[in-house]
Amino acid sequence: MTPKRVGWAAVALGILAFFVAVPPLTVRSPIVVIVLAALAMAAGSYAVTAGEKRIGWGGIVAGLVGLVGGYAATQSGVANLERVVVWGALGAATLRYATPLIFGAVGGLFSERSGVVNIALEGMMLMGAFFGAWGADMTGSWILGLVIAVVAGSAFAAIHALFAISFRADQIVSGTALNLLAVGITGYLYVQVYGDLGTPDDLPSVPNVSLPIDWLPLFGDVFGDLNLLVWLALAAVLVTWIVVFRTPTGLRLRSAGENPLAAETAGLNVVRTRYYAVMASGGLAALGGAFLSIGFLHTFTQNMTAGRGFIALAALIFGRWKPGLALAATLLFGFGSALASRLPVFSPSGAVLFQALPYVLTLIAVTGLIGRSVPPLALGRPLPRS
Amino acid sequence: MSALPDDELPPNMTVASRAAVYLRSGGFVAPLITVLVAFLAGGLVVLATGHNPIETYQAIFKGTGFNWVFPWLSEDDRTIAALALQQTLITTTPLILTGLAVAFAFRCGLFNIGGQGQYIVGSILAVWVGSSFDGMPALLHIVVAILAGILSGAAWAGIAGLLKAVTGTNEVITTIMLNWIAIWVGVWLFGLGGPLQNDDPTRVDVPVSNDVLAGAKLPVFWGDAQLQGLHIGIFIALAALVVFWVLLNRTTLGYEVRAVGFSPDAAEASGINVRRNYILVMAICGAFAGLGGALDVMGWQFRIATNDIPANQLAFFGIAVALLGRNTAIGTLLGALLFAGLINGTSTRNLDPSVFEPQLATNLTYMIQGLVVLLISTDVLVVYLLRLRRRRRTQAVAA
Amino acid sequence: MADSPALELRGITKRFGALVANNSVDFELKRGEIHALLGENGAGKSTLMNVLYGLHQPDEGQILLDGEPVTIDSPRRAIGLGIGMVHQHFMLVPVMTVAENLVLGAEPRSGLLLDYKGAANRVRELSQQFGLAVDPDAKVEDIGVGTQQRVEILRALFRGAKVLVLDEPTAVLTPQEAQDLFVVLRRLTEQGTSVVFISHKLNEVLDIADRVTVLRRGEKIDTVSTEGATERSLAGLMVGREVLLRVEKPEQTLGEPLLTLEGVSAEDDRGLPAVNDVSLEVRAGEIVGLAGVDANGQSELIEAIMGLRAPTAGTITVDGKDVTHCGPRDTLAAGVSHIAEDRHRRGLVLEFDLAENLCLREYKTPAFSTRGFLSPSKMVTRARKLLKEFDVRGGEPETRAGSLSGGNQQKVVIARELTADPKVIIAAQPTRGLDVGAIEFVHRRLVEERDRGKAVLLVSLELEEVRSLSDRVLVIYEGRIVTELPPESSEEDFGVYMTGGGRDERAA
Ligand SMILES: Nc1ncnc2c1ncn2[C@@H]1O[C@H](COP(=O)(O)OP(=O)(O)O)[C@@H](O)[C@H]1O
Ligand SMILES: [Mg+2]
Repeated sequence: MTPKRVGWAAVALGILAFFVAVPPLTVRSPIVVIVLAALAMAAGSYAVTAGEKRIGWGGIVAGLVGLVGGYAATQSGVANLERVVVWGALGAATLRYATPLIFGAVGGLFSERSGVVNIALEGMMLMGAFFGAWGADMTGSWILGLVIAVVAGSAFAAIHALFAISFRADQIVSGTALNLLAVGITGYLYVQVYGDLGTPDDLPSVPNVSLPIDWLPLFGDVFGDLNLLVWLALAAVLVTWIVVFRTPTGLRLRSAGENPLAAETAGLNVVRTRYYAVMASGGLAALGGAFLSIGFLHTFTQNMTAGRGFIALAALIFGRWKPGLALAATLLFGFGSALASRLPVFSPSGAVLFQALPYVLTLIAVTGLIGRSVPPLALGRPLPRS
Repeated sequence: MSALPDDELPPNMTVASRAAVYLRSGGFVAPLITVLVAFLAGGLVVLATGHNPIETYQAIFKGTGFNWVFPWLSEDDRTIAALALQQTLITTTPLILTGLAVAFAFRCGLFNIGGQGQYIVGSILAVWVGSSFDGMPALLHIVVAILAGILSGAAWAGIAGLLKAVTGTNEVITTIMLNWIAIWVGVWLFGLGGPLQNDDPTRVDVPVSNDVLAGAKLPVFWGDAQLQGLHIGIFIALAALVVFWVLLNRTTLGYEVRAVGFSPDAAEASGINVRRNYILVMAICGAFAGLGGALDVMGWQFRIATNDIPANQLAFFGIAVALLGRNTAIGTLLGALLFAGLINGTSTRNLDPSVFEPQLATNLTYMIQGLVVLLISTDVLVVYLLRLRRRRRTQAVAA
Repeated sequence: MADSPALELRGITKRFGALVANNSVDFELKRGEIHALLGENGAGKSTLMNVLYGLHQPDEGQILLDGEPVTIDSPRRAIGLGIGMVHQHFMLVPVMTVAENLVLGAEPRSGLLLDYKGAANRVRELSQQFGLAVDPDAKVEDIGVGTQQRVEILRALFRGAKVLVLDEPTAVLTPQEAQDLFVVLRRLTEQGTSVVFISHKLNEVLDIADRVTVLRRGEKIDTVSTEGATERSLAGLMVGREVLLRVEKPEQTLGEPLLTLEGVSAEDDRGLPAVNDVSLEVRAGEIVGLAGVDANGQSELIEAIMGLRAPTAGTITVDGKDVTHCGPRDTLAAGVSHIAEDRHRRGLVLEFDLAENLCLREYKTPAFSTRGFLSPSKMVTRARKLLKEFDVRGGEPETRAGSLSGGNQQKVVIARELTADPKVIIAAQPTRGLDVGAIEFVHRRLVEERDRGKAVLLVSLELEEVRSLSDRVLVIYEGRIVTELPPESSEEDFGVYMTGGGRDERAA
């Protein structure tokens, strides 16, 4: 077996250590958990020593998480466990929590792959959340609400493009500025338009898609009744992958992010490419925001994105600027949130700590301890002036 | 292709040298114009949404309490102004400190977005120390609590510095992550059932910390302590400004920091330990921000409620303060006064709601803050003016 | 129309701020000719061709293609007009494959998608047609520079270039690769392509070009046919009358070895071997020159000595003290001075004032600080003295280093490095970009230091400089010291070794 396989086996064992302890298996003996977790960590360590650092460490971490989680599960009541660990509901919740992150992450992917740092995802998302709600309310149509959200997000992103690309501003600073600006703009408009009453209760909302797959075990529960935007988010990942990695447009986009001067000398217009990329980024992030306001919570509140834009950015980095891996990261973070929302059964305060998980994981990932995340080479660098 | 060819700015310029170019070319004028433009834009928004911008700004100005200095004020107005000004100066204190936390990093070529996390960690430790150790002598208690805030902030930011130094990880990402980790740790600590939730039996349902003990509260020297008078923290913040200036301009450490900020390569070649500087500088930044958090909980908040933790935007104002102040001591002071005034002038407590709704005004403040940072991010104006001046000069030579 | 040249540049002027990189330059390229653009580093060759390629906009002047005036505002336009350019620094995307790089900007499609197979096939076809072997599926970051250059040439041809500009194409090639390139270029001209060949190497130009246009300091000096031209005549045009003054060197008194390298190896930033098993010795009272073509390990060697790059093998000793694993601070403290190759990057902190720059080595000593606190007044006093002593014009202690001219900046560096009273002086390209007066100053100071018993290692790309200053000359090629020659040896002798000994001997 290659070290890589061993590493993957370690990851699987770690997950298994947790999995056996929760419903439906609900093994009550901690020994099983401990043995499985120990195996995972041993296999992980072996993989690390054999040179497969990234996956090996992943296996060790999985083993550790499996040990803690699995052991905790064996020590808690079966009734509680069965209330918390309902895989179908967890799966659906995971997708729900992940959706804004997915939109944000693929949005960020466009911008960053073209070489423009986008820490303004949070602000773009917030714009989408407000304008989605406002647009749906004004027009009475969730479709138009989404359209207005996308337009608002893109327009807002165009400001970032203008400053970051044309004015060659420091991209971090202008991104930070946009985040602040978004809080101000949406908050101001919200108070101006809706005052103390808040958004109306009859806000048109994005419908769910009911699939006739109730009879399918698990799948039916997870996928049977998801919001349309959840499906759109998943589709966005696929489309993004195709566009960025399989089309001429994507080739140009990536070349702008890797070596803008090379793209320029190949006859491309890097400035225009980056403008489009950043604006696409804003539109996608705005969809994520609109999901929050008219797909999920059915209301707008001030600063309602609450850091999701940053988690999306974290997922993008964690996923090494690749659509598939970024999706995996958002699902992992979404799963954390889904679990956290159910954990208060055990410990209300402990559940809160789960919210910090994405940030901790990303912090570990970016330090390069577990393999290195290499950003696009020209990320953050404006086109050299002639 | 681009609107503004800026041959003043060589490629790969560090943030520090960029700021230096702007400072050299724009001096005081550019930030001033920036602020004016931002206020003008804010005024347009106010106008467009059916309010009177001039009256609004007047009311906001009154809310800042800065009119206290006007000699012609009536006795009553002066009393009101004094109350408002005390508020403004209370806010100025942490703004100076979070501003310094950003400014000092900038001078070393680092972007510290982590002021928020460092501030939170500092306030957590300070509130814990301040609410524990009953019976400690008052002065000692204050000193220990402040030190706890400073050191914890330094340690928190030091993580980012360490990662930058050892693995080269971009400090922007790490400080953002550390912010959110600090937020959630704070929410967990003081949340229901959290390890540091208050132990008052009447407040078991309230996610809030214990109160800072009387002995660890900072003395109020202006105004009524019951009505949030001005505590001595403002002097500590002013002292921090002096420390910042001396550290940067009069010590070998500051010399190294500036060298690294302007040119890491030249600094390294002349024997300066660049990595050590990154760690030290981040730690010092964290110390400033942590001090800010400590002063706030010991000066007027006295406790931390979980809702307040993520809502606190002071550290982001710190970015605006530092950038507007061009990362200098005096600029940071002025920037802090401006934004503290704006924050309080638009607060529910100080703004006359018959003129302009405070909820709207608060958001107006965020907008103006965002605009200021946005405009400063490029200093379009400065570069433009600079180019204009140079073009005139070359034309004069040609003629 | 048929007799109009393929390309004509008329009165091109390009300024960068105050600097005039091209001053009313005329240039004419006939169909099917190889026309060399010859000039020293900084003469303005790249700038002129970047103007042609749309990367720079000329301040004045006109471009004519086939007799028709054209405006070229972007590379896209240039490509559309049949102009292709291979840049001095390659313009490829490292993480992408050869095929992807090659078709970038004119991608074959199948439907909405990129037709990668089609692209790869196209690459194979072209590669065969022009005899330029490349693997379409290899990633650019994995292939050698020679291959990268072929990719660039193929890309230009793929985009239908009728005029092909090559900017210093041989700088990164081995002699054999260069010969291969020449064969390709000749074949291309037979097929009707016209080639502009930029170089500052005389022998190459005589070898490959039909005509030569010589640039000097942004001005066109002359266009001559290579028929009947000699290296000497071209050198005269290229360098002009400002030939370096012979440096007066008194008899040397040799002392102890002060800098010793034994078997030193080091890697470049990409982890490839850059310095291979270098041993050398510089003794008190001598200047040892290190001659070589650009990018043959000189920079890495200097960095290894200065503690800026960890050597992978070998030992470095300064006056008996082992500094192999010392960082920059300890190396400097051991008595080494460093006149950095790129003074903007390593030599000066441009945003610092001169007083601060002059203290970069000593700010921590009691002379300028007590217990961590600086004494600015002492720094200023010392700076005033040094600025006078080293004749830095237009600089007060409070002047920002970045606002000085290049020559005066270099004087500041030298002032700082020489007053540190070193044992060893590493002078890397100490006169790059300086005017004649400043060059003379630098040379004089270096010789003075030698006479005062310092050990000087002079690394320069200017062979003339190395020969006139050094007591002994080592030649470095691909990271190895290939030979030691007396400075009186002929340019040809040096040339042979500097190019790996593989150069064909035209002189014979
Ligand atoms: N983009 C630029 N900005 C400022 N100065 C430049 C730029 N490009 C080139 N120069 C300057 O113009 C001069 C000519 O440079 P270049 O054309 O590259 O010379 P060559 O190719 O002949 O070596 C040099 O002094 C160089 O420093
Ligand atoms: Mg050149």
